[in-house]
Amino acid sequence: MSAPFYEYGLLDGRAALWVALAVGLAFGAALERAGLGHAPTLAAQFRLADGTVLKVMLSAIVTAMLGAFWLGRLGLLDLARVYVPETYLLPQLLGGLVFGAGFAVAGLCPGTSCVAAATGRLDGVAAMAGMWAGVLGTGLCFGALRTFYESTARGTLTLPELLGVPYGVVVLAVVVVALAAFRAAEWAERRGGTMRRAREG
Amino acid sequence: MTGAAQDGANVEIGGGPPRPEPSAASLTPRAGRQAPAAPGPRSLRPWSLPLVALLLALAAALAGSPYAAHHATLDVADAVRAVAREEDHVTALELAAWIRDRRPGLRILDLRSPAEFDAYHVPGAERADIQAVPSLPFRAGETIVLYSEGGTHAAQAWLLLRALGYRRVYFLRGGLYEWLEQVIDPVLPAGDDAATRAERARIASLSRYFGGMPSVLPRAPREDALPIPGARASGTGGGATGSSAASLQRIRRRGC
Repeated sequence: MSAPFYEYGLLDGRAALWVALAVGLAFGAALERAGLGHAPTLAAQFRLADGTVLKVMLSAIVTAMLGAFWLGRLGLLDLARVYVPETYLLPQLLGGLVFGAGFAVAGLCPGTSCVAAATGRLDGVAAMAGMWAGVLGTGLCFGALRTFYESTARGTLTLPELLGVPYGVVVLAVVVVALAAFRAAEWAERRGGTMRRAREG
Repeated sequence: MTGAAQDGANVEIGGGPPRPEPSAASLTPRAGRQAPAAPGPRSLRPWSLPLVALLLALAAALAGSPYAAHHATLDVADAVRAVAREEDHVTALELAAWIRDRRPGLRILDLRSPAEFDAYHVPGAERADIQAVPSLPFRAGETIVLYSEGGTHAAQAWLLLRALGYRRVYFLRGGLYEWLEQVIDPVLPAGDDAATRAERARIASLSRYFGGMPSVLPRAPREDALPIPGARASGTGGGATGSSAASLQRIRRRGC
C-alpha cells in the first residue's frame, strides 16, 4: 500500500504543501483549457445553452471515481484513509443554495473565479473578493452560527453505505448516469443551436 | 457554437479578443478551442473514452470492495520478545517525562468513552474507539502510546497495531489508574540516601509539572482500594483507587 502518501508519512507537511500547489496549478490550468474561466460559458450552463460545465465536471467525477476504485482494488490506495467530509444536512443544504445562487449570479465558482482572475478578468477578481468577504464574515459570525453550523450531523456518508449496495454497483450507476447526461447535454446544445439558427434566418 | 459568448458579461484587463465558444458536438472539454474538423489517424474516436469508462465501471460492479481488508500477520515470537523485555509498555512516569520533554512524534490515544475522556484525560491525548484503532492514520516516525481505564483494552490495541506492523507502539501499563496515582497524586519514596532523594525530586518535579500534589506521607488504605494492574512492588504509588473517577473526585476535593 503506498497511497495516500501524506497519511502514510511518505510526504511530510512541507512536501505535501508543494504537491498541493502543483495539483492546484494543474487544476487551474485544466479549468482554463476547458474554458471555465469564462463566466458566460458557466452562466450558459444554467440556461442549458452550453453543457461544457456539466461535461467537464462529470468527466472529472467519472475519472476520479474509476481511478479511486481501481487503485483501491489493486491495493495501491487505502481508501479507508482518504478523508471523507462529514455531512451536516441542513447547513450544507442552505450552503449549497447560497453557493448555487452566487454561482448563477457571478457565472463563476471559487475555482473558476481564481482561474478568471489569474487570466486577467475583472469579474473573476470581483468574485474572489466577494468569496473572501463571505469567508471573513462567516468567520467573524461563527460564534452565532455555530449551533446551526453543527446541526443535523449525519457523520461521514457515502452512497454505498447510504443505499446499502456494493461500491462497484454505485460506480456503474454513476458512470451510466454521467454518460446519459453527456448525451442529454449534446442533444440540448444541438437543439439550442437549431432553434437559434431558425430564429436568425 | 452556442449563444453564450454573445452575453459578454466578462471584462478582460488585457482587452484581448473574446474567445471562440466550444463546438456543440465536441465531447472533449476544450471550450476555448475549436475541435479539429476531422479526426486524424491517431485521434481517439468519440465513443472510445465513454466505452472505456463503461467497461471499467462494469468490471467494478463485479470486482468486489475496493477497501483494503485489514488482514494482518502477527510475528508471535517478536511480540513475545517485546513483552518479555518490557518493550510493550511505558510507565506513567515515563509517559509524563515524554510529554514534558515534548518527545517528537508522540501520539497518545485514550481508548475510554467520550464521557470519561471529557471528565479527564492525559494532557495531549486524543480519544479513539478501539475498533477504529486499526484504521487510524498513523504517520511514519510516530510513537504511539495507548491507554484505557485499567490497561486491558490498551494492551489489546497494542497487539492489533503490532500485528499491523507498527513498531513504536506502547501501552500505559496501569492505564489511567497509574497516571493518577503516580503522576497526579504520587506518594514520594521515603529515605535519606542520595539516590532516593534524587528520585523523590524527579517525581515531585514531574508531578508538579502536571498540576499534581506529591505527598511524602503514605495515605491510609482506602476501602475501595484495588491494586494497580502490574504495579511495581516498590514503586511510588502503593495502592490505587477502584476507579479513576474516585481518584478524580479526591483530586477535585483537594482543589487541584
